[in-house]
Amino acid sequence: MPQNLATDADGRLLIDVRGPRFGAAITTVVLATALVVQGPVGIGLVAWQWVMFAISTFAGLAWSPYGQVFRWVKRRFDLGPPPEVEHEGPPRFAQACGFGVATVALALFVSGFVVAGWIAVGVVLTLSMLLAVTGICVGCELYLVGQRLRARGIGPSDRITADGATTTHGVRDGGAA
Amino acid sequence: MDAILLRLLLVAGLLAVVLAAGWLYRRRDGRVRSDDGARLGGHHLDAVGLDLSDGAAGAVLLGSPTCSPCDSVKRVLGDIEVERQGFRWVYADAADHLGLADEHKVMRVPTLFMVAADGRIMARTSGVPRHDDLRRVLDGGGGLDTAA
Repeated sequence: MPQNLATDADGRLLIDVRGPRFGAAITTVVLATALVVQGPVGIGLVAWQWVMFAISTFAGLAWSPYGQVFRWVKRRFDLGPPPEVEHEGPPRFAQACGFGVATVALALFVSGFVVAGWIAVGVVLTLSMLLAVTGICVGCELYLVGQRLRARGIGPSDRITADGATTTHGVRDGGAA
Repeated sequence: MDAILLRLLLVAGLLAVVLAAGWLYRRRDGRVRSDDGARLGGHHLDAVGLDLSDGAAGAVLLGSPTCSPCDSVKRVLGDIEVERQGFRWVYADAADHLGLADEHKVMRVPTLFMVAADGRIMARTSGVPRHDDLRRVLDGGGGLDTAA
């Protein structure tokens, strides 16, 4: 990990809640600029953003370039301790969603469906704008829905016993989906 | 260039839509809803470990291990617990209580059920509720001694 970052008792990364919103603001500026200028420069900016999403998704938010910028800004301007910390899971999943749609956009550009590609970029722009401006993270909510669906599919198997009590059998992450 | 101006307007329009959507979402978030006389079954209360047998009202908070707003709801509940004698609440992982979540159409965490002693759901909220709203629910619900 690039720096000593906080983790919870299970070793999962905890991040400053302001970080993802800060990152979303940069993403918004990058993608809005891309959408306005379009052409090779615009597609280049989308490709840049795709790389940022990829790093956050596959290496984790500890390595997120925009997260690094945020940590620098925080030190430089002395923003103080985090008002709250959160697990990296939901925002990392949101980055994965961004990565997915950005991949579709780039594939559409390559296959010559330029307008469709910009519509896909517009979707990512809208969601990052929503997070930057209002603090609502749609991807994070999707992560929770996904977790619940997964839990339903492969356990913890939630069986209603004869007397109606709920019994829980461990394996949260066991088995392939 | 005309095209650039048009796209700038597009981005500005997008911003307006996002602001409106955010406003609507915030207005709904944490708002107390009545649940049309629905009840939390005794087996659900047993499963989450909420004991209301002494006639007091309580609350069930459904969350998940990675849910940050859940911590804010816990703080609100902790404050109410200090103010109101008899009021007690439990936290449960929604993934461990899918039967309850299904039966009561819990779509997101945090979801909070305010439960009367007889299991009747006095109110439910998604998101972070305000202190005053929960106080109002408890005042209307009865069965509670208000701390002096």
